Amino acid sequence: MTKLTSQMSIGIKVFNGNYFNKSESSLLKIREISDIKIFQITQYKNSKLDISLIKIDNQILSKMSGCVSANFNTRILWSGPKTWIVISKNKNIIDDINKNCSANNFAITDLSHSRMTIQIEGKNAFDVIKKGCPLNLNNFKTNMCANTVFNGITITIDLLDQDKNIFNIMSHRSFADSFYHAITDASLEYGYKIE
Amino acid sequence: MLEIKCPYCGRRSQNEFSYGGDATVKRPKLNKDISDGEWDEFIYYRKNPRGIHLELWHHTSGCRQWFKVKRDTSTHEIVKTFMIEEESQ
Repeated sequence: MTKLTSQMSIGIKVFNGNYFNKSESSLLKIREISDIKIFQITQYKNSKLDISLIKIDNQILSKMSGCVSANFNTRILWSGPKTWIVISKNKNIIDDINKNCSANNFAITDLSHSRMTIQIEGKNAFDVIKKGCPLNLNNFKTNMCANTVFNGITITIDLLDQDKNIFNIMSHRSFADSFYHAITDASLEYGYKIE
Repeated sequence: MLEIKCPYCGRRSQNEFSYGGDATVKRPKLNKDISDGEWDEFIYYRKNPRGIHLELWHHTSGCRQWFKVKRDTSTHEIVKTFMIEEESQ
């Protein structure tokens, strides 16, 4: 996956953020997560397979709503009943998915080029998300995810680290420009750096 | 703004949902001879009650599942939500 869009490229190369007169310690860091593979795995409604037997990159497919199973390379997000999103730095993750998820029981879709992921880090990251998103984040903990909206744009929020306030937010690539603009606009109050 | 409890995701804002119409309407059975009146009834006529109403909602920006909502149309109180295959009485 290559860098996002012309606008974001300009944001990175020319403006590099907006942090004049802001304290360095409170700045938000915004970066695009590229070079990752994203797959949607859907178990067929009539499939009787016990998913607790399945592991992808040694991670289980969680049955719990909003849960993420994760290791350094791969995160598996619960996206809906019998539906998961696999996000991996491992370029060959599809081999592991195909080996464990048979075509009789699962539909596998490559979403790598149809989604874009922005990572936000900083002590005000929660506040930035709260500005455009109606989700109650009070009980949102590390390795929890949710599909929701941000300024009307459908997104998937994935909390990587609650203590360091690191979020991955995924949106459809066609909304990437609007979403990136909405996020940087919401971050102006605190100041942000594009990395 | 309504807060709707999705049977899969929990309580979420109405922004994430789409309304899907009356959940009590039944499609005429396949291969059954039915009159134009019955088709009219199925396609166009709705009850529009004041009070408790069973509705279909779609969690469009969430888990993308259809489910049933028992809602009071006069107070907007949501009495209960059901999975689509669940008995709603």
